Amino acid sequence: MTDTSSTSSGGRPAAAPGSGAPAGIMLTLGAILLILMIGFGVRSTFILSLAGYTCAFALFALSINLMLGGLGEVPLGQCIFFGVGAYGTAMLTIEAGVPFVAAVPVAMAASAVLAIGIGWLTLRLTGAYFSIVSWGLAGVMMVAAMNLEVTGGPLGLFGFPSLTVGPVDLTDPQSYFFFTAVILLLVLAFLARVRSSRFGHAIESIRQSRHLAQSVGVDVFRERLKMLVLSAPVAALAGALCLPYTQIVTPEVFSVVLTVDALLAVLIGGTGLLFGPVIGTAIFTILPQFLKLDPNVKVLVFSLAIILVMMLAPGGLHQIGRAVMARLTRGEGGR
Amino acid sequence: MDLLFQTLLNGLMLGAGYALVAVGLTLVFGTLHVVNFAHGAFFALGGYGVLLLQQMGLPYLAALPLAVLLVAAVGFACEIAIVRRAIYDRGEHGSIIVTFAAGQAIVAAIILVAGPDPMPVASPFAQATTTVFGLFLSGQRLFIAVVSLVVLIGFAAWLKRSVRGQQLLAVAQNARGALYSGIDVPTIRALAFVLGVSAAGLSGALLASIISAFPTMGDANMITAFTVVILGGLGSIPGALLGAMAIGLGNAFFETYVSVSWTPALGWVLVIVVLLLWPQGLMGRAQLHRH
Repeated sequence: MTDTSSTSSGGRPAAAPGSGAPAGIMLTLGAILLILMIGFGVRSTFILSLAGYTCAFALFALSINLMLGGLGEVPLGQCIFFGVGAYGTAMLTIEAGVPFVAAVPVAMAASAVLAIGIGWLTLRLTGAYFSIVSWGLAGVMMVAAMNLEVTGGPLGLFGFPSLTVGPVDLTDPQSYFFFTAVILLLVLAFLARVRSSRFGHAIESIRQSRHLAQSVGVDVFRERLKMLVLSAPVAALAGALCLPYTQIVTPEVFSVVLTVDALLAVLIGGTGLLFGPVIGTAIFTILPQFLKLDPNVKVLVFSLAIILVMMLAPGGLHQIGRAVMARLTRGEGGR
Repeated sequence: MDLLFQTLLNGLMLGAGYALVAVGLTLVFGTLHVVNFAHGAFFALGGYGVLLLQQMGLPYLAALPLAVLLVAAVGFACEIAIVRRAIYDRGEHGSIIVTFAAGQAIVAAIILVAGPDPMPVASPFAQATTTVFGLFLSGQRLFIAVVSLVVLIGFAAWLKRSVRGQQLLAVAQNARGALYSGIDVPTIRALAFVLGVSAAGLSGALLASIISAFPTMGDANMITAFTVVILGGLGSIPGALLGAMAIGLGNAFFETYVSVSWTPALGWVLVIVVLLLWPQGLMGRAQLHRH
């Protein structure tokens, strides 16, 4: 299909079952160490809550990458599920008085049910047709959120009664960071299992050649639907976990700006690597905060960065590193 | 009864404006085999072009063609800098991301220069109204309809009669074959892209005086154009005209009889419905040879 597919599939056998397990354990240990270092080492509440938000948003990037790197579709409307997670949790906690712990799973379940409906309607389409329809659905959601009363109209919903999970108070930056980081780690571990499962291999075969997969007995439509239904609760979880940081949910969650952010994170980090989107997110939620970028300058810079990445390194930035290494070693051999 | 005819008339006028955007999208798709997700941004660029030139003191009728030239220039620059390097032979996945990002970049640039708020665009026809058989007829809408039709007819004639037009059709049908018979394919592709986005720009420049200029004005119109193009068959110019009329009527009736505040969602819903009901139809008609 695209350059992306060849590079990512080329890099994948490295994580094959044999060598994958120790590498996975090493990565997990490294991640836990990093989390502890940030959680206990960083004093600034600003940086801690930003780190917590980064972990939450990384979940959204992962959800986008399930579609982009997994199915090979560009889900311009993935923010629908993010928004359902955020709005669902907000509505349940504010208007129905449901505790946060119970509201999040309900919102995630709602997003999964919605994904079944949306997927059943749209997943027969591929490429630009799928992208435009999913973008269109996000547009409908935005208009609905603007006009409905239950969503608070253009002002959105704010003033959450309590954002606690058991004894963990998510409004405390340190607890917030630890909580989102652990959730992110768990989701990553889960997605790694999914990737190496029979279902994961079926999806990989579909991405590489839909018709070939069909011919060897893979139910393409069903597997694609399963992938969307898997990605939706991940996005919804991201939406819900962003609430302690943003403290508000507005119709803007359905705008393309969110998609641009996550797309860039995924493309920079690479669609082939499982944790690529996480690294991309870390770079691109933290950087603008320190550069004090105006939101529009951010969109402009991010969009141009997306184009550059697509032109120079469609497999993610690690591809550039690899290309440079290859050139260096070849250059030495020539001399 | 009067309301019915009035709505009918409004719809047809609206449709004439949509036809231009749709033809641009069809043209780019037909020749480049790329769905241009930046199309809406060029639409907005047309609207802001007129606004800018007016603020510099030019009258509306002079600003209009100059704004289109401006859009054409930006389109040409995009073609050279981005489209020809990052899109052809890159697969669909890449072209969606690149054109989408380019569109977002243009919209962000517009906001940075002109601000996020809607700005009114003056037109000498805005105040002019006539009444025909008891039906209210806005001068600007009539002007849009006339300009659109003239441009569309002129464009169809150009495709049919001129050498360049025939070359464009040849590239659309079979780029490799066209290359072998000595046609300068890169130039023709660039021409198609510039013409396509210029049509979007002209449409934006025309409609800006009705909807006023705002940065995301192109989003809804691009979706409308996409619906029109699918309804009429990708690549077919008469199809785009017919589709535009149908969608224009749909919008006008919805606005009159259902709800104004929900109208922005109608375009999105229509595109979904159309895609779901006739997906195989669009896949099968992805050529520019049916006119």
